[in-house]
Amino acid sequence: MFHVNTRMLLKGARVLAISAVAATTVAGIAAADDITGAGSSFAAPIYTKWAEQSGAQGGAKLNYQSVGSGAGQTQIINRTVDFGASDAAVSADRLEANHLLQFPTCVGAVVIAVNLPGVDGSKLKLTGDIVADMYMGKIRMWNDKRIKAINPGLKLPALAVAPAYRADSSGTTSIFTDYLGKVSPSFKDTVGVGTSVSWKAGVGAPGNAGVAGAVTNTKGALGYVEYAYATENHMQVAMLSNHNGKFVAPSSASFAAAAAGADYTADPNMAVNMNDTAGDGNWPIVGATYVLLPTNPTDTARSASVMKFFDWSFKNGKPAADQLHYIMLPEKVYDMIRSRWSKVESNGKPVYTAAK
Amino acid sequence: MTTGGSTSATSSGPSGAEPGVRPALQPGRTARINRSKYLRRKSTDAIMGGLCTFAAVLGLVFLALILFTLLSKGLRGMSLDLFIHKTMTPGNHGGLANAIVGTLMQVAIGAVIGTPLGIAIGVWLAEIGRNGRLASIVRFVNDILLSAPSVLIGLFVYQVIVKPTGNFSALAGGIALALIAMPVIARTTEDIIRLVPDAYREGSVALGARPSTTILQVVLPAASGGILTGVLLAVARIAGETAPLIVTSLGNLNWNFDLMRATASLPMTIYRYASSPYKEWVDLGWAGALLITFGVLALNIASRVTMYYRARGRRA
Repeated sequence: MFHVNTRMLLKGARVLAISAVAATTVAGIAAADDITGAGSSFAAPIYTKWAEQSGAQGGAKLNYQSVGSGAGQTQIINRTVDFGASDAAVSADRLEANHLLQFPTCVGAVVIAVNLPGVDGSKLKLTGDIVADMYMGKIRMWNDKRIKAINPGLKLPALAVAPAYRADSSGTTSIFTDYLGKVSPSFKDTVGVGTSVSWKAGVGAPGNAGVAGAVTNTKGALGYVEYAYATENHMQVAMLSNHNGKFVAPSSASFAAAAAGADYTADPNMAVNMNDTAGDGNWPIVGATYVLLPTNPTDTARSASVMKFFDWSFKNGKPAADQLHYIMLPEKVYDMIRSRWSKVESNGKPVYTAAK
Repeated sequence: MTTGGSTSATSSGPSGAEPGVRPALQPGRTARINRSKYLRRKSTDAIMGGLCTFAAVLGLVFLALILFTLLSKGLRGMSLDLFIHKTMTPGNHGGLANAIVGTLMQVAIGAVIGTPLGIAIGVWLAEIGRNGRLASIVRFVNDILLSAPSVLIGLFVYQVIVKPTGNFSALAGGIALALIAMPVIARTTEDIIRLVPDAYREGSVALGARPSTTILQVVLPAASGGILTGVLLAVARIAGETAPLIVTSLGNLNWNFDLMRATASLPMTIYRYASSPYKEWVDLGWAGALLITFGVLALNIASRVTMYYRARGRRA
């Protein structure tokens, strides 16, 4: 009796061991040019869409994990992924110290999603100053006189304002707080500007998806998300007043207007700022999203696959970008990025050369 | 204070530890005191009993609520597609198949590494280390490991394996899970082996068996049912772990069978999906939660059944 059971235990262990070995063997066949990227949740909808489309055409299989821009920077510095993605540009000395090449891929917009029962949120007008005061806990009710003053046509409920913010280190937060800091000096002083700041009011949620989820599930909530998250979930987004004092609704046209003037040649690492730009039709919170790629890759095949993937996306990614309301960069900028890829080297030779 | 005094008077009886208190000399007063004491004890008993029952009912109500929510929300997303399709972007009718396989891979690695280590530690503690100084240190460390936040174990594995290898991987995830399973298994193994009567060991030694033979052929088989239960419980525990996997296996949108690459897992997919704004993902998240709950429940039942048959087999 006893012996039977010991033998059964041993047999079980042997079965497990054999299956583990079998799994490893299968592995060798499957993995060839799978690439892993991590970071920005701002860019996750467009990257996963591009990955699906390029994968369907025989491109590399991309596993993109939207862990937040801060985590994306950390992981690529630690070289645990093939590329990092961040909407907050990394400083020149940090890029150099960690042997990273930074390039923008496309432009997205941050919008204010609201959950106001009984009110058409798309007709709601807000100013950067009011939004800043909501996130500082100075405006606590939706029927506050300052909101009512610019929304005479709306019946605003006596509902508490519940701001939602990013709990993780986030590029979306960086773009959003940079904007609020520009329009509200007191926000800049008390809350600050960056990927994680000391919020005075509200609740935190992980990722763009987490903030969108928090807004969807809380009455009276408002949150800042990349526009694709709002449209994909049929969330109501408010109008914002821009630099020229005009109220604009988020749309591909107002994002493109804001992105049009960006100069990618001014900064050696192609960092740009498109917040609060002048122009009647400009959406005020717009930012580019960047990819971080090691210039001294350990796995050259995978590094080449990353560049090949983005090369494909720059050429063929516009329909998906239009659908998700991201703005592609000018063709000139993409050519500039392609030539900068020659900095990614192995034994003194470029890892990937883009076909002209 | 009064309770303490009277109790000690009653229990210590005629020895009379407190010479000042002599209730026995006044029969009328004693009866009165005894009666009020009786009533007080009875009411205390009723109140405490009521509170305990209330607490038990409260616990059960919450358990029932959790299971009800899980069933009502989880069944909505449950379908055959869940087991066939991999995770997809919203709107593409994805499933959880790659996450299920990823979890099975990582739990298998965790069990394969954690089980022998855990059993070895448990056997050493119960049979060789016993009450020695080293054994008490090992026991203490094991207890610390047992109660360590699982994310810390994940971060440890991140530093030791993920960073040096330059890859988030199923192997790293499995090793993190093994480190969580190991102390659980060590603890239950030691406890179970200590329950094996010493007469078994004495009998074995009397027949001329070496210590190793005694442990391997007599003690371990006698304890095998309990050890198996411990292993199953540890597997159930690691199957639901999320935190250590975030920093070790990262997650994967695609199929992956390479032990050295980022791999999806069910708990992490549930975490991502349940907090997402996409209805399709939220439903899938709940379905995944239901799946894991039933998996763990099945493991628990399996361990009970083995225990039962072991016990019956021994009696027969």
